[in-house]
Amino acid sequence: MTFSLNVENESPSRTTLHLHGRLDAQTFNEFDLAMLDVLPGLPEGGTVVLDLSALAYISSAGLRSIAKIRRTMRARNGHTLLLNPQPQVRKVFDIVKAVPLNEVFANAQELDEYLDHMQRQITGDEPASHS
Amino acid sequence: MFLRSIASRLSLWVLAGSVLVLTIAGGVLFYRVSGQILEKAHGEATALANEAGNRIEQRLARVADTAQTLAVVVGAHPDGADLTLRGALARNADLSGLAAAFVPAAGNPPESPFISRQDDGSLDRRDLRKDINPYWQANWFLAGLSCSQGCWQRHFHSQSRQREMINYSVAISADGRPTGLINADVSLDWLSRTLKELGKPAGAYAFVLDESGTYLAHDNPALVGQRGQANLLEALATHQASHVRLAVAQNPQAQGKPVWIYFVPIEGTHWRFGLAMPESKIYAGVRQAFVQALLLGLLALLALAVITLAVTRRILTPLGTLTSRAEQVARGALAFELPPARFPDEVGRLTQAFDRMRTELALHIAELTRNAKEQQRLASELDIAHQIQTALLPGEHYLDAHCENFELHALLRPARAVGGDLYSYFMLNERRFCVMVGDVSDKGIPAALFMARTITLAKALAPRARSPQHLLSMLNVELCRNNDSCMFVSLLCGMLDTATGELVMASAGHEPPVLCDADGVRLIELDTGAALGLDEEARYPPRTLRLHADQTLLLYTDGITEATDTGQQLFGVERLLACLGRSPTGSAAELAAGLLAEVDRFAEGAGQADDITVLALNWHHALADGNALMLDLTIHASMDDVFDTLDRCDASLRDQGVSPAVRDDVRLVLEELMVNMVEHGHAGGTDRKIELHMRLGDDAVLIDLHHDGHPFDPLQVPTPALTGDLADADEIGGLGIHLVRAMASELSYSHDEHGNHLQLRFLHPARPEPDHDV
Repeated sequence: MTFSLNVENESPSRTTLHLHGRLDAQTFNEFDLAMLDVLPGLPEGGTVVLDLSALAYISSAGLRSIAKIRRTMRARNGHTLLLNPQPQVRKVFDIVKAVPLNEVFANAQELDEYLDHMQRQITGDEPASHS
Repeated sequence: MFLRSIASRLSLWVLAGSVLVLTIAGGVLFYRVSGQILEKAHGEATALANEAGNRIEQRLARVADTAQTLAVVVGAHPDGADLTLRGALARNADLSGLAAAFVPAAGNPPESPFISRQDDGSLDRRDLRKDINPYWQANWFLAGLSCSQGCWQRHFHSQSRQREMINYSVAISADGRPTGLINADVSLDWLSRTLKELGKPAGAYAFVLDESGTYLAHDNPALVGQRGQANLLEALATHQASHVRLAVAQNPQAQGKPVWIYFVPIEGTHWRFGLAMPESKIYAGVRQAFVQALLLGLLALLALAVITLAVTRRILTPLGTLTSRAEQVARGALAFELPPARFPDEVGRLTQAFDRMRTELALHIAELTRNAKEQQRLASELDIAHQIQTALLPGEHYLDAHCENFELHALLRPARAVGGDLYSYFMLNERRFCVMVGDVSDKGIPAALFMARTITLAKALAPRARSPQHLLSMLNVELCRNNDSCMFVSLLCGMLDTATGELVMASAGHEPPVLCDADGVRLIELDTGAALGLDEEARYPPRTLRLHADQTLLLYTDGITEATDTGQQLFGVERLLACLGRSPTGSAAELAAGLLAEVDRFAEGAGQADDITVLALNWHHALADGNALMLDLTIHASMDDVFDTLDRCDASLRDQGVSPAVRDDVRLVLEELMVNMVEHGHAGGTDRKIELHMRLGDDAVLIDLHHDGHPFDPLQVPTPALTGDLADADEIGGLGIHLVRAMASELSYSHDEHGNHLQLRFLHPARPEPDHDV
């Protein structure tokens, strides 16, 4: 079980990355290289969603890759959101306090709500109109 | 009882000795004196005999004179013979009869008158011519005729007068030829009377023997007429001695006792006068005197003995008191009165010495009692110390109950109540077992205290020690501190991986251990550092050994090798190896006990000079029963190999039913560590190796990781600054190690000349085992 990546561009400002397999010292290079293609295409203030549902395993090398993405996105006033980390990944994240807890979502619905909330903040719309 | 006293024995011996001396002296004196007495008695008796003989001689001479005178007178006037005879008889009372017998011839008177004295004193006359037997034919007449000068005839028994008579005959001559004879009769009674009239000493008796040896007269009338006894007559005949000793006297009066006979010849006759003196009478006086003297002497001696007894008793009285006091001392009583020393003699000095001795003894006993109490107190303290020291030591037998991988037997026997030998063993963690044997310099209480210090420190420091050499270094530093007495301890410390049998040892000046197995017995040579407590800078090189099944490692102290026998020979390493080689089985208990017994036999009679400790560690290698060995790999330190290995581990764990969570933890930790080794630990080399051993315990996964690269202790890496967002910092180091420390249930690190050694343990609670004990 090695690593694979699916990139889904849902909108110009939002890209979802589906991670599969293990992100470790053997595979993080592959992931980093892929990111070099993906990230520059995102607009200023864009959002990257890392879908971790299928990521079975992560090691410190993988953490560093994710940290790199987050730094890149932060430099561009963007956001890096994590979706549905599996137990091992969650455990690793917990141990090293990898990301703020409010940027980790257990499922797509929570993520959507968060994204809507962010949208409203930007556009100034009332939340009720979208409910 | 009486003879137990010295005084009584002394007086008795004085008495006995004096009596002996007195008796011998008296006997010699008596012998010497008796000779003189005898000589004197001889003289006196001879004189007496001579006197008596002379008196008899005179009497007989008067008879003879009378007869010769009558012969002349009657020869001149034969007719008046009758009157002449009568007149002569009347005048001489000694005569009992006178006869004038003529040869019957012409010219001779016709009558031969015989005048005899009757018993009543009147004179009787008889004419012999008219006798029936003609006298002229009788022997006495014929013999008398030839006796012109007169001679005594043989005695005869007179029929007419009824008595023994002897007669003296003198021939009457006329013209030169005998015409008759005058016969004078004397009765033997007269002779006997004469003998009786002699003044004789009491008990003596006299006799007269005629020429034929017949008694003419004797003080004992019964013997008259009998012949004298043969030895008497023989003595008379052979030598002319005037006296002779008869051993047995003839006379019953002498009662068969020896007599002395003194002889005197009677002139004019052939007779002999004899005086018999009983020998006892001769000596009677002197004997009596001697008996009296002896009695007196005995009395004097008895008195002497009594005086000796009294004086000796008086002198020895203090000695008796001293004796009873000495018996009291023997019973333990020292308080008593002593008699005052009256004189400065031996007894006085003895009394004073005894008094001094009593005082000194009392002081001495008091001191001894004090010392004994002190000793007792010390002994009880030592006893307690011994118990405390024993409590410091773990049990003699240890069986790894968890997996029965190994078994340990230890025996410690101090030379005194407490000693400086020590052994200890304990589990450092689930896997590592620490064992040590040590020997403190010196013996006794100081050594015991130092031993207690050492063993306590060792226990306290061991959990922090990564390796035996580390533990020894830490112990050394601690023991060097304030060690002014310069005591030191030699210590052999080993840490055993109970899963693999890998044993790391380090020695601080201790005897090398011995390894016993089926191949034989051999010393494990290892470089040793200085003994603990001497040099703070000392280093202790480790030695790693892999124990195989049924191997026994024997640790000991120099009490074994330096045990000496009565000939001052050392037990030595050769005997040690030989003894272990003879052991039939390799069990720890038998090896330890057998060795100790051998040393005891060797040192029998010489006593135990030093503390003795033996510790035998037997490796069973019962691995399959407990910890299942899952992987035992050696790989090149490269990324590909690392990840290949991670997959194999994962697969193994999955096969063993280990939960995915644990598997992920294991994988993460191994990845972080091994990637670290590959990336940072090559130390310039390209052919670094990584060894990995993985086992599954009851409740944990156990992993050994060895890497021969650059020393790197993950435990020493600082915790990274975790802000809550990894993106806060440009590059965060130590994340992997942080994860490792968080994930692994236990982690230990050591480094030696072989490289880095990591031991990992992951709790594995999900393993479905009903007898699971947590």
